Amino acid sequence: MTASPPTPGLPAPRSPAVRITGFLVLGLLGGAAGMGIATLSKEMNSGWEDTVALGAGAAPLALAAIIALGLITKRGADVMRGCGGLQVLVMLLAGAMMLLPMVGARIAAPGVVMAALAVLLVVQAGANLLLWRRADEMLRRIMAETATLAFWTLQSALFLYAAAERLGLIDGLSAWGMMGILMGVYFVASAIAAARRGIH
Amino acid sequence: MNNRLKVLRAERNWSQADLAEQLGVSRQTVNALETGRYDPSLPLAFKIARVFDQPIESIFSE
Repeated sequence: MTASPPTPGLPAPRSPAVRITGFLVLGLLGGAAGMGIATLSKEMNSGWEDTVALGAGAAPLALAAIIALGLITKRGADVMRGCGGLQVLVMLLAGAMMLLPMVGARIAAPGVVMAALAVLLVVQAGANLLLWRRADEMLRRIMAETATLAFWTLQSALFLYAAAERLGLIDGLSAWGMMGILMGVYFVASAIAAARRGIH
Repeated sequence: MNNRLKVLRAERNWSQADLAEQLGVSRQTVNALETGRYDPSLPLAFKIARVFDQPIESIFSE
């Protein structure tokens, strides 16, 4: 069996061995991250809200590492100039902001942690705005579609949840729990929006 | 919407990165355009026509 010749102008396709190795490495990293989250969650002895938030905090940190790796290797040329670094920064800040309310309380007073969170939020908002301005039209479309899909999914879920709560069918949910769910839905929405444009 | 971007680019022996730079978009965007995963805005379609020096209707079709 012979491999098909590379298409002109396209990067040479990765060999099966490289792909399998990549999947194995990603699988190992995912497994290690999952085990880390489970261990930390057990140590914290907290509820499902913190477990979800830990996952929602770890996911953008992992994504930041993957994007940074892509920037270092040849695939850095895939994204618009000036956007890659901002994407890494936005992801790092998103992860830090999800983890800080749980971890920060062990290090500093709640007021100090809250002030730090407010500063990080302002910086992240600025980085997001800059990313939007530097992005090309397809990246902007992906961002807009992500926001639309996440909003539609979450508002539908919130309506059903609120109605069930009003009817006394289910218990109340904390804002922290909702935040973790929101971040999870947002990541899935962004993955779907990017995959539709061929970005994996 | 269909387009002849890949053929036109190959005729000029340009890489996706070369075309992306001329259009002011990312290589991912050029790839998405060529594979039909993304339809360009009207300004970008005009820009593509200018870069290839051809009318829009000879590059894009329904």
